[in-house]
Amino acid sequence: MKLKSLFVVCLFASASLFLSHEVGAQAAPQKIQIIAERFDFAPGEVTVKKGVPVTIVLTSKDVPHGVKFKDFNVVLDVKKGETKEVTFTPDKAGTFVGQCSVFCGSGHGAMKLTLHVTE
Amino acid sequence: MRIPRRFILVLFGVGLGLLLALALSMAIGGSKVGRPGAVETGVATFTKHHLTVGNRAAKNPLAYSPENLQAGKEAFGHYCVACHGLDGQNTGVPFADKMSPPLPLLTSPEVQSYTDGQLKWVIDNGIWPSGMPASKDTLSDDDQWAIVLYLRHLPPAGSLGEPEMYTH
Repeated sequence: MKLKSLFVVCLFASASLFLSHEVGAQAAPQKIQIIAERFDFAPGEVTVKKGVPVTIVLTSKDVPHGVKFKDFNVVLDVKKGETKEVTFTPDKAGTFVGQCSVFCGSGHGAMKLTLHVTE
Repeated sequence: MRIPRRFILVLFGVGLGLLLALALSMAIGGSKVGRPGAVETGVATFTKHHLTVGNRAAKNPLAYSPENLQAGKEAFGHYCVACHGLDGQNTGVPFADKMSPPLPLLTSPEVQSYTDGQLKWVIDNGIWPSGMPASKDTLSDDDQWAIVLYLRHLPPAGSLGEPEMYTH
């Protein structure tokens, strides 16, 4: 009886260890720092994995900026000097172009961030 | 194929005649901005609608929704109000009828008869002959399409007041 109980406890412990590892692997997002300044994102291109959560950490150095990825329903706006983040999970592979979401001046329309999502 | 010498001479003569006519009209009227005549307006409007403004077949990828309309109003507010007013009908714009050609009401048939694709083209590239500038790289494609949506649903003239820059 004692041996059986020990076996059950070990089984539960192994299962919880395995599950916590799995959950941990899924929950660890790919964190990407982006600086927005004068009609540019730095870096201007990032590569992430499909199905793995991504956290974009956006900082604006000059005026209010933002980034919008329509394909993933993601919008993140920041004020001057502010840092904010958004987490999402890309559910499709390909190349997606994000756009500054806050009108920031004469180069606003050309302010783009390219997201490569690989399988 | 050899082009006849006579044809080249006629072409040269017509070009020279047009240049002289332009120089003469400038000498008489000066370079002052004036209201264009009916013939000039008619020719320019026909040319723009049927020959020079492209993108006729393009469809607006943004469907009508309160959110998209609000986005269009916002983008219009950033870039277009200085000349077209908040309502797209020149309300409060002090130079609207002093340009050549005068600023059209964006609710007018002259503007509304462009297709959505042509309106996007005009916003993107500007339009000549007029004072309309190109907004390429200043407004994103999404902004421009949202503005097209707003142009199709402009509010009543005067209902939004005057642009702040003209009220001080």
